[in-house]
Amino acid sequence: MVLLELFWSFCKIGFTSFGGLSMVPLINHEMLSHGWMTLSEVSDIVAIAEMTPGPLGLNCATFAGTRVAGFLGALSASLGVLSPTFLICAVAAVAFEKFRDSSFMQKVMSGVRPICLGLILAVLCSLSTTNYAAPGGGVSLPALLIGAAALVALLKFKVSIPVVIASSALLGLLLIR
Amino acid sequence: METSQETNTHRTGRVPGLFWQFFKFGCYTFGGGWSIVAQMQKEYVQKRGWLTEEDLLDITSVGRSLPGLMIGNVSYLFGYHVAGFPGAIACVTGMCIPPLLILTVVTWFYTQVRDNPYVSRAMVGVRATVVPIIASAALGLRKAALTDRFGYVILLLGFVLYLFFGMNCITIVLLGGLLGFLLSVWREHRKGGPDHGTP
Repeated sequence: MVLLELFWSFCKIGFTSFGGLSMVPLINHEMLSHGWMTLSEVSDIVAIAEMTPGPLGLNCATFAGTRVAGFLGALSASLGVLSPTFLICAVAAVAFEKFRDSSFMQKVMSGVRPICLGLILAVLCSLSTTNYAAPGGGVSLPALLIGAAALVALLKFKVSIPVVIASSALLGLLLIR
Repeated sequence: METSQETNTHRTGRVPGLFWQFFKFGCYTFGGGWSIVAQMQKEYVQKRGWLTEEDLLDITSVGRSLPGLMIGNVSYLFGYHVAGFPGAIACVTGMCIPPLLILTVVTWFYTQVRDNPYVSRAMVGVRATVVPIIASAALGLRKAALTDRFGYVILLLGFVLYLFFGMNCITIVLLGGLLGFLLSVWREHRKGGPDHGTP
């Protein structure tokens, strides 16, 4: 039953990782040990997953599932990778809504909120180092320009996010060589 | 908390809208979970006012700390918060369908897409907007997160621990919770009385 195997593999990947690139080593291991993909296909899928919208884990699951067992394979792999959300997160959501107004939770959250913002800023820094890098090394000026234009559009002119993404794709086509 | 006063029928009425909105979010979520937080901040905090900045930060930090996909977890928690279990399911499925369909098609044409120079040029442009999108959301959330000068210290701590020490997110979030608790208790103690309503 390849569908069940796919589901179970991505269950394991989902439960033992926290999204994003932290999933790659696990995906690598599962794909190679089942002989579902080669090493170079795994790195391709990471590149493709970064190019398409949606979470990396879900994109990898769809890609691997489609290649192994068509659309049904994609579906069962995706359900597998989402299983922690439907199990752990479902319990957490109930508990969270119940206790969030308690004074204990309020105290805890007064520290969690700023540290979460710190995490966002840290993620921004590490994203900047890859997203504005020129292919040959150094900084890509056109990318920096597009980024600056997007920031002004978002903050000053309140342009919506889809419009910003679509116009920057167009700018990328025109400016990037 | 306006949602708790609303009737159940009102909350159920939100479910189709949630599905559609998260379907749209799913089409524009590049660069990982933080960009869906940015879109939620624009749509539900700024435009509709369904959520306060505090709510969004709470949902984000809990979603980030649980295993699995951050985007899935954040969508589930948000859906549950505004419309209960049906809302949670609507948000998660809505968010998942676009990437599932897009990637199924991309997988069929995978070598052509990967090697197409126009696609990669456009993607450099798209990737360049991920940072400003997340940055604009972070700016919008700062009032809720930074209520006093200790907030800045905790923020800096999280930043340094993640970026320079590579500490994992759960440990950092738990540390933030502990610090927040200890600081609030210490503040109450210093005031010499019970909680006068700490922010």
